[in-house]
Amino acid sequence: MSRLDETWADRPGWWGFLTTVDHKRIAARYIVTVVAMLFLAGMLALDMRLQLSAANGTRMGPQLYDESFSLHGSTMLFLVSVPVMEAMGIWLVPLMLGARNLAFPRLTAFSYWLYLGGVLMLWVPHALGITPDLGWFEYPPLSGPGYAPGHRADIWAQMITFTEVAALSASVNIAATILKMRPPGMTLARMPFFLWAMLIASLMTIFALPAVMLVTSMLIADRLVSTQFFTPAGGGDVLLFQHLFWFFGHPEVYIIFVPAVGFVSAIVEAFSRRPLFGHIAMVLSLLSISVLAFGLWVHHMFAVGLPRLGNDFYTAASMVIALPAGIQIFCWIATIGSGRPRFATPMLWVVGFIATFVIGGLSGVMVASAPLDLQLTDTYFVVAHFHYVLVGGAMFPLFGAFCYWYPKATGRMMSERWGIIAFVLIVGGFNLGFFPMHILGLEGMPRRVYTYGPEMGWDGLNLLATIGSTVSVLGGLVLVANALLSYWRGAPAGADPWGGPTLEWAAPSPPPPYNFEHTPVVTGVAPLWEHDDLPVMTGLKDDAREVLVTSVLDAIPLYRQHSPAPSIWPLLCALAVSAMFVGSIFTAWAILWGMVPIAVGLILWFWPVRGRATSGPLRARGQ
Amino acid sequence: MYFSPAALLLALTACEKEARVIAADQPQTSPRGPQDPRAAAYENNAYQVSQGGRYFSWYGCGRCHASGSRGDLASAGARRDLPHLYASIAHGHTSGARIPPEQIWQLAGYIRSLPRIDPARRKRQDRDLRGEPQGPTWTGALR
Ligand code: HEM
Ligand SMILES: [Cu+2]
Repeated sequence: MSRLDETWADRPGWWGFLTTVDHKRIAARYIVTVVAMLFLAGMLALDMRLQLSAANGTRMGPQLYDESFSLHGSTMLFLVSVPVMEAMGIWLVPLMLGARNLAFPRLTAFSYWLYLGGVLMLWVPHALGITPDLGWFEYPPLSGPGYAPGHRADIWAQMITFTEVAALSASVNIAATILKMRPPGMTLARMPFFLWAMLIASLMTIFALPAVMLVTSMLIADRLVSTQFFTPAGGGDVLLFQHLFWFFGHPEVYIIFVPAVGFVSAIVEAFSRRPLFGHIAMVLSLLSISVLAFGLWVHHMFAVGLPRLGNDFYTAASMVIALPAGIQIFCWIATIGSGRPRFATPMLWVVGFIATFVIGGLSGVMVASAPLDLQLTDTYFVVAHFHYVLVGGAMFPLFGAFCYWYPKATGRMMSERWGIIAFVLIVGGFNLGFFPMHILGLEGMPRRVYTYGPEMGWDGLNLLATIGSTVSVLGGLVLVANALLSYWRGAPAGADPWGGPTLEWAAPSPPPPYNFEHTPVVTGVAPLWEHDDLPVMTGLKDDAREVLVTSVLDAIPLYRQHSPAPSIWPLLCALAVSAMFVGSIFTAWAILWGMVPIAVGLILWFWPVRGRATSGPLRARGQ
Repeated sequence: MYFSPAALLLALTACEKEARVIAADQPQTSPRGPQDPRAAAYENNAYQVSQGGRYFSWYGCGRCHASGSRGDLASAGARRDLPHLYASIAHGHTSGARIPPEQIWQLAGYIRSLPRIDPARRKRQDRDLRGEPQGPTWTGALR
């Protein structure tokens, strides 16, 4: 026991902080950073709402408003929603697998440092007064060299590069862990739904993100070395940008939403106290969403004047996705209806999610229809729609997940009373604030305007929107305060406060650095509900960092794998990569010379510390 | 006039080159002499320079001063300071009298920036602006 502790512990102090490869510590870092970002971007949103609360507002001018919504949107999507889902995966996947760590522990650290680089890339220039001001997608020619002087657009594009490299590393890590490190007995068929969701989201990330990295790199090339990808006069094509961007952009909303589906399913299962209704149908609908999601991107481009047939096809495809989404909703309702549901805060969030997300889904089907979209595009109807799906469909499940797993992460219970207050404020305030925006959109209020005249008659609903938003931001503060106070004052939680079905509840709360004393052996999808005493497997060393590698389909133990120890190289390599990314805003030579430190860093990171194997498939040749 | 506090704040905090104040933040008069401090505010600011570039094509300057042509102004931008350039736009051209002072400042700032711009980049920027009106003619959207 104490030997395991010694083997897996980090060094104390700063050195331990900088070198750790513990997935729980890194995930906690992610979450804290995300909460800070959520706070800042939320304050920006409130500022915009104050500006819009009455006609002819004078709080902001057009430039400041442009900067505010660009920063708000970019932060919320690239620095909050995507990374927070990765963070939850990084924290939860090994625990749910009964594993000691992720497959590539140092890569986890590298992901976080690069994500932090992305945060700084956007917010440090903002503090210096240089804020990207072209929205969360920066279309050329507006973002091209002729119309976007200075470095604002470059900063945005390079922020994307940072966060996408981070997201790709995290996804590879999570996918490899789920495929190769499941405990004995956890065949694919017995894999909990949340792990399916994380696996599918990671694979989607791996397929979708290269498109946006490509397109922002092309934009940077256009701006830095005068290539002509996006200038028609030079034989380029501005629509190429939109196609590549939305080929990433649409799957991205599912990269955010699919893990949220995983949270909801986990919570519904635990609090209905029965296995998920239609587990297989749920997995299949998730798989079909993940495929369909790559065939919808043109619905973001209905207004650019594509051929009719194209528009019709993408209208139909977009509506098809309502089917698998509907199956999921019905499966959750059936699980709740046929179980013995207990409405603790995590479950309340699920109810809030279902109600809100269904509204967002319905307005989604409306804008998926090309003729209607031509009316509604770039109005507040769209603002209402995407906040309903992003906040209702991703943030509410996230808050539910936060309340659900908080006791596991900290060993303390959150206050149920303040949890309910936060829930009512956030969900009530959100619906109060954002529902009127549908009407404003139908009345023609355009999106991204910094003010409007009194003769438009939009004041009342806008004031309501501001009041609602304020209430929900207050609720957010209550939620965070509850989490902070409960960290010290909460009642001790014990290992399994909710009676959960999956393996993470078998670990102590908070889990020790090595997570589980022994590797669990699994006989069903809800292992903790099947045995009073979880069967375990022994055989992993306790005086060396070892993890178990199993086969992809049937999780048959294959070999014991050495798990890399803490190292400073992920941080140093991330610094080298950051220097290259930042430098390449100013000169193309940074790419060439920046490679040198990165290469040195990677060589030292991967410097072999063990002799070659003398037996098995990896043995050195000639032995 | 609610722009001024924002403008002041920006001027204090932002790098001079990147600041972007939509409203006129400088007195709207012609230069007070060769040492006028407004010169730096125009010629070193990316936004002002790019506005100047846009007016350059709108006012049709490119017809005689296209980049690479005999009338290319890059060398003038290197030789002359901004107040000089201001004077030759305002008084050396018949149309100059019709251009508002702020735009002349921006045009002159643009010309001052020309010798500093890499020729490939200048060509690239011109391509982006090809769909803008060129002097009195506008040929419609690019196809
Ligand atoms: C209570 C919380 C929130 C409030 C009050 C709020 C408010 C706003 C406002 C006023 C705008 C500008 C609308 C316009 O002028 O076009 C906006 C845009 C946006 N928001 Fe939010 N928002 C909130 C939360 C979120 C969250 C959680 C996300 C994502 C997860 C998000 C994503 C976006 C995006 C992507 C845009 C579009 C930016 C652009 O036009 O480029 N928002 N929001
Ligand atoms: Cu979409």
